[in-house]
Amino acid sequence: MNHVMVVDLGYGDAGKGTVVDALCATRPVHTVVRFNGGAQAAHNVVLRDGRAHTFAQFGAGTFRPGVRTHLARHVVVDPLALAAEADHLASVGVPDALDRLTVDSEALLATPYHRAANRARETARGADRHGSCGLGVGEAVAYGLAHPDEAPRVADCHEPAVLRRRLTALRDRLTAELGPLDAPPVADCLPAFAAFADRVAIVDRSWLAGALRAGTCVFEGAQGVLLDEWHGFHPYTTWSTTTFANAETLLAEAGMAGTAQRLGVLRVTTTRHGPGPLVTEDPALPFSDPRNPANPWQGGFRFGHFDAVAHRYALEVAGGVDGLALTHLDLAGPHLRMCRRYADGLDRIVPGPPGDLARQEALTGRLMLARPVLESVPGGWVAAVEGALGAPVLLTSRGPTVEEKEGPLVNAFCIGRAPA
Amino acid sequence: MGSGIWSTDVYDAADRYRRRTGRSAFSYSDSGARTVHPALDPRDATRESRDSAEHPQSTPIAVLFDVTGSMGHVPRVLQRKLPQLLGLLQRQGYARDPQVMFGAIGDATCDRVPLQIGQFESDNRMDDDLGRIVLEGGGGGQMMESYELALHFMARHTVTDSWTKRGRRGYLFVIGDELAYPRLKAREVARLIGGAPVEDLPIRQVVDEVTARWDTYYLLPAGSHYAGNRKVLDFWRGLLGQNAVELDDLDAVCETIALTVGLGEQAIDLNAGLDDLDRAGSTATRTVSRALAGLGGGRRAVAALPFTPTDDGGSGVTRL
Repeated sequence: MNHVMVVDLGYGDAGKGTVVDALCATRPVHTVVRFNGGAQAAHNVVLRDGRAHTFAQFGAGTFRPGVRTHLARHVVVDPLALAAEADHLASVGVPDALDRLTVDSEALLATPYHRAANRARETARGADRHGSCGLGVGEAVAYGLAHPDEAPRVADCHEPAVLRRRLTALRDRLTAELGPLDAPPVADCLPAFAAFADRVAIVDRSWLAGALRAGTCVFEGAQGVLLDEWHGFHPYTTWSTTTFANAETLLAEAGMAGTAQRLGVLRVTTTRHGPGPLVTEDPALPFSDPRNPANPWQGGFRFGHFDAVAHRYALEVAGGVDGLALTHLDLAGPHLRMCRRYADGLDRIVPGPPGDLARQEALTGRLMLARPVLESVPGGWVAAVEGALGAPVLLTSRGPTVEEKEGPLVNAFCIGRAPA
Repeated sequence: MGSGIWSTDVYDAADRYRRRTGRSAFSYSDSGARTVHPALDPRDATRESRDSAEHPQSTPIAVLFDVTGSMGHVPRVLQRKLPQLLGLLQRQGYARDPQVMFGAIGDATCDRVPLQIGQFESDNRMDDDLGRIVLEGGGGGQMMESYELALHFMARHTVTDSWTKRGRRGYLFVIGDELAYPRLKAREVARLIGGAPVEDLPIRQVVDEVTARWDTYYLLPAGSHYAGNRKVLDFWRGLLGQNAVELDDLDAVCETIALTVGLGEQAIDLNAGLDDLDRAGSTATRTVSRALAGLGGGRRAVAALPFTPTDDGGSGVTRL
């Protein structure tokens, strides 16, 4: 099987959604497997006819008929947001998204209590916000680590008594810590979770091995490697392993370790939504991103020049790639430059051992002060990125639709397709 | 980093799911289809369960269920439960290389789609067949469905390596709550299945044929219209003996099938199987225990041969 794993080698928003959609549009894909993050993902896909959807929990291949989504156990599942997302998909002509969804019974649930606690904490941080999306994903992970046997999980949605007990314990702990939370009573939450369990196929671990044998699967990462919980620039990170690691684990459990092609996604302009280091940030860059509006939890969307130093670091901590997807080439112009080293001479950020957060925090301090050395890119971006990162560009994108993508990863499958 | 743009209102969410509950779980049926899906059409079809390099010792398991009105919500519950069956069988090692087929039984005298038979699948493609099943709304009102047609198909239009190479019967589970018609009608076979002409046959003979090659179980679930009605249970007990099983919780169907197969394969005894369920956190243990108590351990002796041993298959009869 030609399985593919897609991760973002930046701070997110490089275009994983459109890359996954393009992969699903140009070959028969059985299932898109989500293997990290939760409902805070925002993977925008636009079709040639103008229909668009911001994929949060459904796989970005869902516009393509028959392509399934599997939420693996590393995903934090938010059944409430999932219902709303399914409704939007139905409104843009995809009525059967829930039919094509499977969810691992072991996955943690994000609940209104996590969400309320997340917002309460982030508000209390004031100017020191971490850039959380305010959806309680990190809160759910933290609670799951602190109380592994009591954290609400997907399987509990089939067991109202268990879920009631766990939600009550969760609410009580969080209110004891943070005061009253802006969230509905437990009794009001139960019907929504039960309805989710009645409607969605909840499966066990072994489901995925079957899917991996049945056809090509695309592993769709969320966020970006530079936000990784262990390798990102602490504390501006996400509560999620954003490298290939989870996907490799799932493959290994199915007896297919190392069989998937590893694809890293990069955008010609390095961006960041939320606070934290962005060494090449340049407010003078004439870009805007209508799909990433400013929001109270992350602030405005930030643009910078291509930060080859940071992306090389991401590539290294992710364990290398078989190829790159380079997006937003339509933005490349004389104003956009590449940073191969910082002004203090740093041209390689050396990865540390996973989880050494003090080291990562010190690194963050250094990056906050770093200034980029910017060079123009006269010879073309594809060659420049391949040279800077030492990996081939297998897919390029000049716009959101699959028709605006080129390269061996899409061309081989597009030959003979009638122009729509 | 992303942003959550989808509403997370609890009150909305329950409504949203309810609006969509079940409505498109059987997406083919719910899209208005009232004819058999080509993939499930038994007409001139043979269904095969074959060995392969990846699955060298296939164990065929067929699950056919009543889809008429009297069974109400049953198929939709099964739709939720059955995809886990394969996982359960594989995880516990109850059967070598299980291959699962789904089918649906209606009433040939009044339904538009009296018989639907999927393929044996060893992976998630079996869910696809489930999604293609047409759910009949009607139901005869005479407490009969055309089970005899389905049993005839299983007897004469299936080929399994398990049988031809190893002389081992497959497993056939029929989930329903009504009687079969007393006779298999040649006219209905010709119209719906085709193949070599048959004459009208008494149900007893059809059952004898199918049980020669398939270990056949009838599961009568609670919550269905005629459950508890002794006439139905007695009818099937008369045909299948202890293999006619009452199930007091439909949610336990998946576990019941898995344990039945595990018992039949002599991979476990009942107590070991129930322990497995307990350990896995299943809530179905009591139901399964009650349902399967009568089965004890093991099934009838294998293969009163008419099977052709193959060169590589050794004696074929691998156990008693």
